[in-house]
Amino acid sequence: MARFRAMGSPCELLCDVDHATEVKDLAALAQFEAQRIERAFSRYLPGNIIARINQAAGTPVTVDDETAMLLDYASTCHRLSSGRFDITSGVLRRAWTFDGGALVPTPEQLRPLLELVGWERVDWQSPVLRLPAGMEIDLGGIGKEYAVDRAAALLGERTSNPFLVNFGGDLFASGLRRNGLPWIVGVDDPEQTGLEAVGQLRLERGGLATSGDARRFVLYQGRRLGHILDPRTGWPVEGAPRAITVAAATCLEAGTLATLAYLRGAEAESFLIEEGATYWLA
Amino acid sequence: MQLNEPRPGTIRGALRAAACTLLAAGAATVPSNARAAAGDRWNLETATLIYGEKGGTTIFEPIFRVSRLYTNGQRLSAKLGFDTMTGASATGAMPSTRPQTYTTPSGNQQTTPAGKIPTRGFHDSRFSTDLAWEAPVGHLVKTNLGGHVSAETDYQSFGVNGTVSVELFQRLTTVSLGAGLNHDTVDPVGGTPQALGTGREDKGTHPKRVIDGMVGITRVLTRRWLVGLNVGATKEDGYLTEPYKVVSVVDPEDGEQVGTIAEKRPGKRERTSILSSSVYHFERDVLYLSHRYYHDSWGVRSQTIDGRYRLELNEGRYLQPHVRYYAQTAADFYTFGLHSGDDLPESASSDYRLGDMRSSTVGLKYGFPLASLPGEFSVRGEYIRQWGDQHPAGAVGAQRQLELYPTYNIGTLQLGYSVGF
Repeated sequence: MARFRAMGSPCELLCDVDHATEVKDLAALAQFEAQRIERAFSRYLPGNIIARINQAAGTPVTVDDETAMLLDYASTCHRLSSGRFDITSGVLRRAWTFDGGALVPTPEQLRPLLELVGWERVDWQSPVLRLPAGMEIDLGGIGKEYAVDRAAALLGERTSNPFLVNFGGDLFASGLRRNGLPWIVGVDDPEQTGLEAVGQLRLERGGLATSGDARRFVLYQGRRLGHILDPRTGWPVEGAPRAITVAAATCLEAGTLATLAYLRGAEAESFLIEEGATYWLA
Repeated sequence: MQLNEPRPGTIRGALRAAACTLLAAGAATVPSNARAAAGDRWNLETATLIYGEKGGTTIFEPIFRVSRLYTNGQRLSAKLGFDTMTGASATGAMPSTRPQTYTTPSGNQQTTPAGKIPTRGFHDSRFSTDLAWEAPVGHLVKTNLGGHVSAETDYQSFGVNGTVSVELFQRLTTVSLGAGLNHDTVDPVGGTPQALGTGREDKGTHPKRVIDGMVGITRVLTRRWLVGLNVGATKEDGYLTEPYKVVSVVDPEDGEQVGTIAEKRPGKRERTSILSSSVYHFERDVLYLSHRYYHDSWGVRSQTIDGRYRLELNEGRYLQPHVRYYAQTAADFYTFGLHSGDDLPESASSDYRLGDMRSSTVGLKYGFPLASLPGEFSVRGEYIRQWGDQHPAGAVGAQRQLELYPTYNIGTLQLGYSVGF
């Protein structure tokens, strides 16, 4: 096993090869890919394609192939979620402080921000993107899961031994362990993250990701509002389970499905059932 | 812009397609291939088993298994096996203080020296194939369907089976229900022996039907510990007799054999078994333990204790020691020999596999990768000793001087290779 930090999260690679140097080599590869994706797509870093798009002030930007594919994916998610999943919703965070306190924005504070949200206002004709001035995009909702799958693909080319990639709780397992058993993944108690795992689940092959509001919330009129916002109203999604974990063929599919379910609020579980998803709720 | 609401139930499929497109496209933009993460996978396993009893049967059995795991969770697997068996197996007749001559079904004569257990030489090949299909139904249910066919000179077997398993309680518990049907045909070489007699009836085939059911539960207790309980019941009816096994008829006074007659078993057998198992995962190693209790309507009861420990070495190699102990009580109709002049019983057999017996196994498996080839190689060797009561209480006269129950020393060697691609 090897640990490293990337994308603001603790990351680990478990691999059924005990030759220490091989694990180290594989971990270096995974870390390299995670950092490449972080540098390329983080909205916090200057000079990358996201910064260029967000600072273009209404002028068209021609993007590279990888960015174009990510934007296509985000666009599909927007359509499939009827507008609930929106990579332009990041500006709403200016009005919210999810520190466990009781401060919520007024409708007057939210209204101008909502004017800056909505993928349908964006002109996306691959590979050219024109974002209306003042709007921003943020690929944070899919970046980590994408990085997990990308790292797994690179590792799969390098080794035929079974491995598990874990970037801050978003996982991909390449197959049964060498001893013929599935990987057993501990699930944190959403109330006390980081403490003893409260549940275990078995993962043979594919991705696993969680969407939830465990750590960041506000308390409003006795209600706990999580940090995931509905871009259509500017308000946190209410009534969703605290944490939704989904298993799917890839980590990206798992993470997106978990997020789309969360965005359904109280209907999260019926959505997951309807879609035939493999899921766990906390 | 007016968004069209996607049809419920179609979102996951559309997402999967979009994710695959994005990840596969990554291959073109950066030097990598996303199929490893997103595509179907094949697995090939081959194994060759060599089984040898000291002075007895030798079996050579290569097996190939190919399976394909699809991204939607379905798995299709096919197995092909071909055994060749040669050697000698005990006829059931007891040893004698004089040499014994036995005529084989094909007319050859074999002579057993005094004091030795009579055996019948044979050579046979068996071909077998099976097909299994595993498919998830919804998100908590998995189904398994399978079928098999096997054939050797005097025995054919056809079977189908199915299992449904459901995951419950946050998927920590799996409950399985299974059922199987088998239809076998026995066609003894040289005709069917007359039960508890010396003659032979016309050639003809005899059916044997087997129905079985199983209910099982496995539970993840902790991150490291998995336990399971399986209860199985089997009902067999039809021709359950072994056509080449005989029973000695002895003089009740001096215990010498006066002749042999063909054995006969009841036409029905009901079996029940309870298997409990535990898999414990240490930091690297794994300990597997199981206990099986079995009993059937023939009066056979048995217990098996089995333990394996997988010791991980470096560079992908592992060692796996194995120990097993088995003890069984005899079937109600098991006998070392019938007394001449007594009424014939309903059923009688001297097949050592139905006697009071113990067996113990020690084995070692070594798995290793080769730098030049993908996949894993393994070598497994086992030594099995099987023994019973050689001087049972009911022995009379000469029987007391003879070793009535054969002791077997068996060695097996298995070479395996498995690879995923």
